[in-house]
Amino acid sequence: MEYLKNILSLPPIYYTFAILSVLTLFGALGTVMSRNPVHSVIYMIVTFFSLSAHYILLNAQFLAAVNIIVYAGAIMVLFLFVIMFLNMKQEAEEMKKEKIIYTAVITAVILGGILIIFLRRAEREPVNPLTYNSQSGMIEVLGRSLYGEYLLPFELISILLLVAMAGAVMLGKREAGERHF
Amino acid sequence: MYPILVLSITGIITLFLGFLKSKKVLLPATLFFVTLAFFANLYDWNKPGLYFNNMLQVNNFTILLSAVILLSAFLIIALTKGFIDDEHAQPAEYFAILQFSLVGAIMMTGFQNLIMLFIGVEILSVSMYVLTGSDKRNLRGNEAALKYFLMGSFATGIMLFGIAMLYGANYSFNIDAARTVVTQMVSTQHSSVYLYVGVTFLLIGLLFKVSAAPFHFWTPDVYEGAPTIFTTFMSTIVKTAGFAAIYRILEVSFSPIYSFWWVMVIIMTVLSLIISNVTAVSQGSFKRMLAFSSVSHAGYMLMAVVGLSNKSDDSIVFYSLAYSLATISAFGVLMAVSKEKLVDGRPDESIAVLNGLSKRNPFLAFILAISMLSLAGIPLTAGFWGKFYVFSDAAFRGHIWLLVVAILMSAVGIYYYFKPIIAAYMRESEGEAISLTPFYKIILGITTFGSILLGLFPDLLRSLM
Repeated sequence: MEYLKNILSLPPIYYTFAILSVLTLFGALGTVMSRNPVHSVIYMIVTFFSLSAHYILLNAQFLAAVNIIVYAGAIMVLFLFVIMFLNMKQEAEEMKKEKIIYTAVITAVILGGILIIFLRRAEREPVNPLTYNSQSGMIEVLGRSLYGEYLLPFELISILLLVAMAGAVMLGKREAGERHF
Repeated sequence: MYPILVLSITGIITLFLGFLKSKKVLLPATLFFVTLAFFANLYDWNKPGLYFNNMLQVNNFTILLSAVILLSAFLIIALTKGFIDDEHAQPAEYFAILQFSLVGAIMMTGFQNLIMLFIGVEILSVSMYVLTGSDKRNLRGNEAALKYFLMGSFATGIMLFGIAMLYGANYSFNIDAARTVVTQMVSTQHSSVYLYVGVTFLLIGLLFKVSAAPFHFWTPDVYEGAPTIFTTFMSTIVKTAGFAAIYRILEVSFSPIYSFWWVMVIIMTVLSLIISNVTAVSQGSFKRMLAFSSVSHAGYMLMAVVGLSNKSDDSIVFYSLAYSLATISAFGVLMAVSKEKLVDGRPDESIAVLNGLSKRNPFLAFILAISMLSLAGIPLTAGFWGKFYVFSDAAFRGHIWLLVVAILMSAVGIYYYFKPIIAAYMRESEGEAISLTPFYKIILGITTFGSILLGLFPDLLRSLM
């Protein structure tokens, strides 16, 4: 009863967090477990949206918007295109490598268990509402720190994107005498 | 600081040079660019400093490591011969990506902020994924690239998780700030779980990149599947940069909690040494053998990290240089020999292809012998002193049983490193004489001369620090 009373006395933001977390996990599990790849993609969109909601809870509005635009928007469309092109619906094969599945499950459970045990012991100082900068997740503060303190890494990310782009063009270019898949 | 700027710009220039009709200008241009970066790097010698809001650290240690990286890159790029033999190659893209990957490698040596480390690792890894799959007609290359990409992305994710945890513990990405927090934590006996989880995950991510056991499973397949020239790049530059990152993060930030991480690192050291050396014995392919040998050298370099003495930084620089020189010669010989004989349209990369090399080309056989001796750690080669230094680092902390394992495994190593030498000198020759271009000879001569010179006068490098 004590436990229940504790739960009832929680502030509403905890309920929001709990509901969102359940939704995120539901979407993630659905992505992995559903047989139909299109369903997987839809579950993944659920996950992305609820993650965005998490970001808003963390006062990171810009990140939430970017997450929806880039992931739920652009990348998901890309996924759907690939699935439509490959037409995988009929070829949903049974995974035959049971050994790998068992090993993966055992490893994941052990790792997850260790992390949960460890992180339960972790202590965090609560945020002081008087000194907390409520603008911290806003685009202005973010822009200032990107172009101020983190200028060099921000610029060097362009090298990363350039490598990825040059590499993708190089690998994707069709040549004479190449195998066709 | 300067080599990052130089290489970022010259990489873009190289991409544009690809528009030229003649592909011959690319090799000299790239060599010139890397030389430029090399001297730009030395310009900061004895002028330590922090740049760009404490993002990048420059001191003599990072300069020496960057110099090792740029020197290896110069030698490897020279060995490509501009890809003029290969009609399907795209040299402009290859050279541009190589230069960008050097930017990543130098970021990994000089990072002062974990964000820089992460972006450096990513630039280097993405370049390597692309170059692994650059031979599109090779099915094994495609497989290797995909494997490397998937596993590498996972490792990066794990590393990023570790960095996030460390941020939770330290409220900062700066590695000096992390040291302050860690020191405080040790003195107040207050332990932060985030810190421990962060260190562990960060280490796992980085050790994957340098292919230390038990994160080495991708190594043989990827090294074998990738074009040999990029395998050389992977096994020298990625390793040097990775160990620079591991050593700096552990030495700068986490030396106060040595008692926490040494067990983990020592287990990985022993595993790397035993698994790689024992498996390498039974390999028939020279390239696969060198892949396992690179895992074992990751183990030896981890000994310097475990030792963490005041000489460990010198040992890492020396070992990387000795290992890079020997590996470049070995792969250089393999590239020259293997293209003489094709199996299923691919260069034959088994140890048997070296049979009778001393009659077909005595120069190559000599280069091969010296590089194998250096990798095995025979006295009068650089590899011996490299091993000597890392062993003395491990002895500094009193890990005697680790030394025993390492010495035993070196003995196993001698067995398989002598197999190519025996093939080259004692077996009957099958093929015709191999001719080399003078430039190729000069480059292999330099690597071998370097191995012998550092073997005779190891203090040449040690006295710099």
